[in-house]
Amino acid sequence: MRILALAIRSLKETYRDPLALGFLLGFPLVFMLLFGAIFSGDQLPDFAIGVIDEDNTVMSQAFTEQALPGVPVLSLTTYDDAGTALKDLKFGELNAYIVIPPGFGQQVSSNWQGAKADIVLNMTYDESDVMISEQLISIINEVTRAFARVEVPVTVNALPIHVENQIDYIDFIGPGIITFGLLILIPTSARMIVRDKEKGFLARLLTTPTHPVDFILGYSLSNVAITIAQILIFIFGARLMGMDIVGNLGLAFLIFFLTGLCSVGIGMVIASLSKSENQAEPLAWLFSMPLAMLSGCWFSLEMMPSYLRTVAFAFPYAHTIEAARGILIRGVGLEAVGADFLFLAGWAVAIFAIGIILFRRSMRS
Amino acid sequence: MNSPDNDFAVQTLNLARKFGDLTAVDGIDLNIKKGELFALLGPNGAGKTTTINMLCCLLKPTGGTARIMGYDILKQPYRVKEIIGVSPQETVISERLNSRENLELIGRTHGVEAAELKTRSQELLATMGLASRAKDQVRKFSGGMKRRLNIIMALVHDPRVVFLDEPTLGLDPQARRAIWEYIGRLKKEKTILLTTHYMDEADSLADRIGIIDEGKIVALGTGHELKNSLLDKQTMVVQAQDITPQAIDKMRAKYAEVEATGNTVVISDKQLVFQEIVGLLHDAGVEVRSAYIKEPTLDDVFLRITGKELRE
Repeated sequence: MRILALAIRSLKETYRDPLALGFLLGFPLVFMLLFGAIFSGDQLPDFAIGVIDEDNTVMSQAFTEQALPGVPVLSLTTYDDAGTALKDLKFGELNAYIVIPPGFGQQVSSNWQGAKADIVLNMTYDESDVMISEQLISIINEVTRAFARVEVPVTVNALPIHVENQIDYIDFIGPGIITFGLLILIPTSARMIVRDKEKGFLARLLTTPTHPVDFILGYSLSNVAITIAQILIFIFGARLMGMDIVGNLGLAFLIFFLTGLCSVGIGMVIASLSKSENQAEPLAWLFSMPLAMLSGCWFSLEMMPSYLRTVAFAFPYAHTIEAARGILIRGVGLEAVGADFLFLAGWAVAIFAIGIILFRRSMRS
Repeated sequence: MNSPDNDFAVQTLNLARKFGDLTAVDGIDLNIKKGELFALLGPNGAGKTTTINMLCCLLKPTGGTARIMGYDILKQPYRVKEIIGVSPQETVISERLNSRENLELIGRTHGVEAAELKTRSQELLATMGLASRAKDQVRKFSGGMKRRLNIIMALVHDPRVVFLDEPTLGLDPQARRAIWEYIGRLKKEKTILLTTHYMDEADSLADRIGIIDEGKIVALGTGHELKNSLLDKQTMVVQAQDITPQAIDKMRAKYAEVEATGNTVVISDKQLVFQEIVGLLHDAGVEVRSAYIKEPTLDDVFLRITGKELRE
């Protein structure tokens, strides 16, 4: 009851403070919007097209090796079978693939000789982006008509499929921004504790039968509630902004949750080492902002030198982002992110232990 | 260890606290009776708050110990914390909670039942004139309202011993009087240890007063007893016109201390006779407008003992 009373009080102090609340929830959402907008430029898309030649005639070869490559916006890959092409389409590596059916060469030859034969192509494409698929159909139509020298439209047997894991920028940045939101828990949780310490609130409650460990559990409980709310809001926000979620949301939540606990633990350590709010806040920011950058909240870690990657992966957040991207974008399961999961759980336990020891020590003085 | 049953609610036994080389509290022995309102009076930095902090187990003494209702502050701190209520010198409240929530928070840490807590909070808020603002966040309160809340937060769990550290610090006279009135009403029910540097506060509220200076209790007794200790000296204040140097010289020849500033003459000696002084001044051609024998105050007591003014 004592712990719950303390936790509820901390929560009230937070949600009745518009500034604190806006900071905790709004700041990462603003980042999400900003990054989403910055990187959504309207460049002319390059269409990745797979080609399967089932006709295998001189004519079909001329089509795939000369006519299609002559279109600048198409980047072509040749496949031996449609199965492989379909897999790549589903993994977002292709926008569409074309199957040139047997008899294609024959039809084109007839047209060249003046007969009006129907030209048939089969195209399978990702319908999740209507702009892309419609442009593609018309491009393929155009190039085929020119090649076959026909006036009438070519019959493109279009087979739309819905591909979920089309990775665009928001999918890539979403997990990073959510993780950034959880990083903000470091300064906010540190501030919450230090403010109580500085203003004599802890001292006042220590004249009641409240034990130091009651405080720790009270703060942790309120921060856990804040973390859960944050994760749900961020995931919802990212979803609204178009982030596709293919993997297990529960697993992603668990990863984020452990990360939130790590942040609260770090916040507790910083609060225990600081004497005042003025000391704790800059310290917490100085720690968390570079860490956000280093962990890949906003950028890919691929281009980072390896020693910096080593530093980044000594902290929870790079693991979180990697695991969350795997789960949310590629739909991997626990077997793929198990190591990250264990690392985060271990980190959370360790930092909480350190936090409790340091906090108790700071209460004694 | 059960509480040894005696008449004392608070006993300090050579209680001392050093901060490095500085001795804040220098071996205090106090015995405060159950139901007594005891005031610790002294200037800022005399060691009042340090004493309170040790008694409510926030600060470990560097020498001696104390017992609250028989429980030792060193050996049984949590037994002590269960039966005390503390109103700290700084107003410590949760700014974004309303006044009832603040009260209930303290009540819950003491394990008071919800229904009882609600009734008691309502009562306390009503007596302190805060009931109409019970649902407002306390950050919107005036200084006086916060102070009143700060005090009742020490009472919500019905403690047996209450520590009020400078309860009216920085308040206007009206707000102070309201708090005095309330403390006066509490007097019969609880043992109260109050610290203050306002001598009128100690004088009007306390059953007994301990004057503290530089960590030591330098005088102890009821307000009356303390002031009576000054009865070997009387002071008379005269308001008059046309005070001449000759008249002053005449007075100085007869009385131990004579001070004249403007239209006021202050005369002190072991024994003063009202008519005699007025007559003397009249004979010297001074027109006396008013004259009174000044009662000694605790301020005078403090000045006499320490050679310093209480308020610096």
